[in-house]
Amino acid sequence: MNILASYNWLKEHVKTKLSAEEFAKEFSLRSMSVESIDNLGQRFENMVIGVVKSIAQHPNADRLRVATVDIGEKEVPIVCGGTNLAENMRVVVALPGSRVRWHGGADWTELKKTEIRGVESIGMICAPSEIGLDKIPCGDHEIWDLTSVINAPAGASVAAALDCNDTIFDIEVTTNRPDAMGMIGLAREAACAIGGDFIPMKTLPPYEGGSWREVLNVRLEDARCERYMAAVIEGVTVGESPWWMQKRLLFAGLKPINTIVDISNYVALELGQPMHAFDAESISENTIVIRPGKKGEKLTLLDGKIVEIDSSIMVIADAEKALAVAGIMGGKDSGTTASTTTVIFEAAMFDALTIRRGSRAIDVSSDSQMLYEKGLSPSALPMALARAVELAMELAGGTLVDVVDVYPEPRKPRVFPFDPEQARRRIGVDLDDAQQIDILTRLGFSVAKKKLAYSVTVPYWREDDIEGEVDFTEEVARMYGYHNMPAVLPASRPPAGFDDASLDWAMWTKKFLARAGFSEFFSNSMVSVTDLEMYGVSPKDALALYNPLSTDITHMRPTLVPSVLRAVERNQAFTNTASIFELARVYVPQEDQLPEERMMVVFGEYGIADAEKTFMRLRGVAEYFAAKSGITLTFDRAPKNDHWHDGRTVTITFDGVTVGTLGQVAEDFQHSFGIHRPVFLVEMNLEVLFPAMQRAQHYQALPAFPVVTRDIAVLVDEKTEFEKIFSVVRGAKSLVTDCRVVELYRGEGIPSGKKSVTVGVTLMAPDRTLTSQEVDEVMTAVVRELALRVDGTIRG
Amino acid sequence: MQDVLLQLQTEALAIFLNVKTVEELEAARVEYLGRKGRLAEAMKELAALDVEAKREAGKIANDVKRTIEASFQATEARVVAGAAEERQAQEWLDVTLPGISPAVGHLHLTTQAIDEISGIFAHIGFVRSRHPEVDWDYYAFESLNMPKEHPARDEWETFFVGEDASVMTGEKGKVVLTPHTSNGQVREIEKGELPIRMINIGKCYRRQATARHLPMFHQFEGLMVDKNVTVTELKGVFDYFVKRYFGADRATRLRPYHFRFTEPSFELDISCAVCDGTGKVDGTKCKLCKGGWLELGGAGMVHPNVLKAGGLDPKEYTGFAFGWGVERTMMMRSGINIDDIRTLYKNDLRFLTQF
Repeated sequence: MNILASYNWLKEHVKTKLSAEEFAKEFSLRSMSVESIDNLGQRFENMVIGVVKSIAQHPNADRLRVATVDIGEKEVPIVCGGTNLAENMRVVVALPGSRVRWHGGADWTELKKTEIRGVESIGMICAPSEIGLDKIPCGDHEIWDLTSVINAPAGASVAAALDCNDTIFDIEVTTNRPDAMGMIGLAREAACAIGGDFIPMKTLPPYEGGSWREVLNVRLEDARCERYMAAVIEGVTVGESPWWMQKRLLFAGLKPINTIVDISNYVALELGQPMHAFDAESISENTIVIRPGKKGEKLTLLDGKIVEIDSSIMVIADAEKALAVAGIMGGKDSGTTASTTTVIFEAAMFDALTIRRGSRAIDVSSDSQMLYEKGLSPSALPMALARAVELAMELAGGTLVDVVDVYPEPRKPRVFPFDPEQARRRIGVDLDDAQQIDILTRLGFSVAKKKLAYSVTVPYWREDDIEGEVDFTEEVARMYGYHNMPAVLPASRPPAGFDDASLDWAMWTKKFLARAGFSEFFSNSMVSVTDLEMYGVSPKDALALYNPLSTDITHMRPTLVPSVLRAVERNQAFTNTASIFELARVYVPQEDQLPEERMMVVFGEYGIADAEKTFMRLRGVAEYFAAKSGITLTFDRAPKNDHWHDGRTVTITFDGVTVGTLGQVAEDFQHSFGIHRPVFLVEMNLEVLFPAMQRAQHYQALPAFPVVTRDIAVLVDEKTEFEKIFSVVRGAKSLVTDCRVVELYRGEGIPSGKKSVTVGVTLMAPDRTLTSQEVDEVMTAVVRELALRVDGTIRG
Repeated sequence: MQDVLLQLQTEALAIFLNVKTVEELEAARVEYLGRKGRLAEAMKELAALDVEAKREAGKIANDVKRTIEASFQATEARVVAGAAEERQAQEWLDVTLPGISPAVGHLHLTTQAIDEISGIFAHIGFVRSRHPEVDWDYYAFESLNMPKEHPARDEWETFFVGEDASVMTGEKGKVVLTPHTSNGQVREIEKGELPIRMINIGKCYRRQATARHLPMFHQFEGLMVDKNVTVTELKGVFDYFVKRYFGADRATRLRPYHFRFTEPSFELDISCAVCDGTGKVDGTKCKLCKGGWLELGGAGMVHPNVLKAGGLDPKEYTGFAFGWGVERTMMMRSGINIDDIRTLYKNDLRFLTQF
């Protein structure tokens, strides 16, 4: 949560001579991050107060007029479309050289002297949004009428006239520090962080001078409200707030409404305590009841939204009806208006969780709700209420007639022991006791010396945040300044554990595949029911999300294949063919247990027409992968399976366990994903392989005698498997040591139903050089065996 | 006889001098030096001479033979070199043809980042651990000092596992997709293997989907626990990582922040490379950073309650932890201007093969 904080305002409560930039830097280092610095003086450069002297119709445009404006030294013509433009109006004139936002758009542009439809125009008469004051109420096509806002003469600089030679910091307040969402809390932080004195608010006198009557009856009927205070002021005159207050609200991003609403907002801004004001006349029987909402109860909120309430929501009601959703937003009919004469200010402490859940349930958020959610203190109420009363009497007149305080179980201050040695130990810097205690004291903690250590009392504005002794370490560390601490590399003992082997192997596998030419996909593990069903996986076999973000990501994938197929489909139009892979954990549901997170790999090729070559390449990669990681994989023709092409698929087995599949994705699934050409994939369960994988390299002695290779082309039936040829050739003579495919050929010269397999035969004897006669004998035997065993005829 | 031989020598030298091609050279060699060449023929005639004359003429014949052979060798060298020159003139290549890239595969940017990040931490003794990505809310929240009512545990920020309107629960609470890698903290401490220097990199899930936030992203979590781990050591480790990953010229800072599971907590910032840490480019505000600094991620000293949850005595042990987004860290360095972070996981090969 962020607060827009005026530096001038802060300086009323912190003594400092730092420039805004210096302040922002120091404050960010020790307290909260200043995310941007807005120099208002600069923003209003070259803008002056102008007074409209006379107005004439623009000769060439119906909707434009030409105003003659007194800008101090002289009168200048300015073309203006403002519908409310009137003589003697006091306005903001942006002169050439200033920067404005056209019609309140997002971009600032520099204004130049110009001609508008043939008429000279020196500058621009501005609407509030055009000079960045979006929150100032102003009608469409109207300009900002300052006549009743300020008294400055024509020619005065806008920054001076509006008293905003100021700097606005946009500060990110961490969620544990709602106290710093008020200027006083922020100033207290700042004083400690930058080393200036904190100037607290003056203590307000107890409610004096009232004409006391017990006019208000408050009934607390919901324990989720810890304390409820209210003050009744009669005879108020509700109007526009003075500029000084409007200005502070505006630069904090709040919209001025009327004196009473503005006071509520101002006190919240000053003290971080949300306030609310009711028009007493809208409350029946002068009774306020804090109670759970009733089922079916409806309420129209300030912003016009109608919400339906139940008992999970707390409401502020009168004797008959709900008036406001407690802590979240007031009702439309009970708010203050120009005709309000008796006002009831409310300062209350509501339970954080109730507010948070309630706000989500009715889908309404507000500054007040945001503050309550973070955890406030009931002890903050008297001060806030007194401040609101003080301001109301000052700005709206009236008489205080009643103050009510319902606080069934007052809180006790929180006290924790504190050992400065613990802080030194955790921080690693020798901060002496006095230095630590000084920091805590400046932040509002009271520190008392005990026998061995200290005891620290937490100020009420930090009681939700400070939970134990360790929190004091943080206060000390940050205020000492992390930037003042040395950076030291740990010199202590090395860790007891080692790298997780499966993660090592996963990275190794990825690098292996990338080197082999495969590019890596990275898909969302969350998939849709459609994704699963398109690949024939029942959603029942996938982990379902209880609260998915959208219908396309509802289940955790139990297989990588659908993601890969989806990616192939998306790529085929742009990249016709590619080698791709994905390696990730899939999530396999288990009864009453966390799912098994199984590391899987899928790699493959798509878009290639030659199935045989594709198959051989992928098998080669799988074999090489196995060889390089010291495991043995076997490949056997796969049994019939819906997911894979019947004739083009093998099962991959390791040590008797099926670990995966290599083959062509079944056409049904290829088509269901909209893929035009066959996709060949290898899918493997790496969890089974990882434990067996090893980096050991194996050495084989180089042959001592020459190795002879002979190629022969043999014509066989199409369905004669190479493995059969291989075993025939290998078995022909003991001198044959290896046999491989050199070429596969079909087409001209080969009868249909047949294929020509060129086989490379390797011959070698361990103890001698083979004679050509020996080689010829072996080859004759090979030819004979091929003819006999696989009905092969030798070509050419 | 002498005259014949010397005449033959003169003739041969003249012929070799004029030889231009390999073919002519070979013809000349056969004519004069071949087995049936003219020199061989002339030598045969020596046999008819008497002993004295044979010795005399034989000597001259040998001289002539050496001279012709030397001439042949010189000519051969000249002709072969000439032929090579001519061949090279003809074997002209269009050297402006474009290169053909090797058919390599491409690791995803995220994998590259994970590899590099774990490598840097390995240098200072951090080992990689593996922890669940779908976990009990005990490890994701409860044991991390996040009470039941903490907003992060609400259904609108975290994904819960379950079906038919009921959240799956088991021995350690509800089942969630872990929203951060911090679920590995107590799991790692529970192993009881001390001291700990762990890096846990994994997928995380949050209910968000914008140009800047993905429902699935990656984090890397560092955890160091030992008897006297201090803030200054966290600073040292952070500094080391930043200088190795982002460059030695980058500055770092710790800025106070708030997290439930660390105390003290801070955010780690690094100086902006675009404006060199000044916050301004050519006098106007730097568009990339906040006042010269970029947020890298959160960190802090492990909260005593977290150590306790893992079975350690916080009076004896201290530790620090940090958790940063892999994608964010990677994008901050690479200078890859990806407007929409979702591009990373669209699996478009035209994108993937650029890296």
